[in-house]
Amino acid sequence: MDLIELLKKKDRAAFKSVVETWQDMVYNTAIGILQNAEDAEDVTQETFMQAFESVASFKGESKFSTWLYRITVSKAMDHIRKKKRKKRFAFIQSLYGKNDQPVIDPPDFFHPGVSMENKENAAVLFKAMERLPPNQKTAFVLNKVEGLSYIEIGEVMKITDSAVDALLHRAKANLKKILKDYYIAINRN
Amino acid sequence: MEDEFLNKKIDDVMQSMDGITRATPRPFLFTRLEARMQNEKNIWSKLSSFAARPVVAFACICFVLIVNAMVILMSGSSRNTITQQGPELATADEYSQVSYNLYDFENAKP
Repeated sequence: MDLIELLKKKDRAAFKSVVETWQDMVYNTAIGILQNAEDAEDVTQETFMQAFESVASFKGESKFSTWLYRITVSKAMDHIRKKKRKKRFAFIQSLYGKNDQPVIDPPDFFHPGVSMENKENAAVLFKAMERLPPNQKTAFVLNKVEGLSYIEIGEVMKITDSAVDALLHRAKANLKKILKDYYIAINRN
Repeated sequence: MEDEFLNKKIDDVMQSMDGITRATPRPFLFTRLEARMQNEKNIWSKLSSFAARPVVAFACICFVLIVNAMVILMSGSSRNTITQQGPELATADEYSQVSYNLYDFENAKP
């Protein structure tokens, strides 16, 4: 019987097989968006839990991996929103002296899959990616970190290839501008 | 010259993800996932996930709005009654025609 059909019957072995087959794909996408290993693990688990619970709604109109990508991206974005809310709340609390812990920005993120000679440059690029609008960031991560084609990104984000092209073009232009400002500021100091 | 250097640096940074390989999670992800799913099976998590459903939230909002509307309508109609009974009540208040004492209650007829 098909793996997805078995998963719909809540078969444990099928679920294990699904997790083992797609865990790297889900985790790598999550870590690309979240830039934090713990958060990425959390989102990976949430993605598979969601997939297990709502597999009945998977009609097979797209590839299973595309469906998993969609859940991952949506969970990762939710995670970012929750974290921002918490950060804002902690900041407000610190203003009123209710929270002694200072609001600290996370340290530079080093993706484990980047080659040693590119580590520093990639960390700067990841930092710049944090300032992109969510859609541009998602498209850029799917393209650069996961290596998806424009067609595949379009399927995940439910947009046309030309829209993906435009999104990536804008993302690259924005990144170049952010990087330019960053290096000009460094040179001044 | 400086611009050239800057553009070269930016290009290097933009290309720094070329040839990136996939990051992998820590081993035994499935075991941790199963443990988490087991933990979340308790009644409280079920209740909270039920309450967090958009349908339930929408139903709650509708319920609150209906109760509010009912209270407003009822207070509106009771205000009319008070307005109609206004002169009698005002007289009763001013001249203390109503007496509430223990004696009255004890002598109340069944």
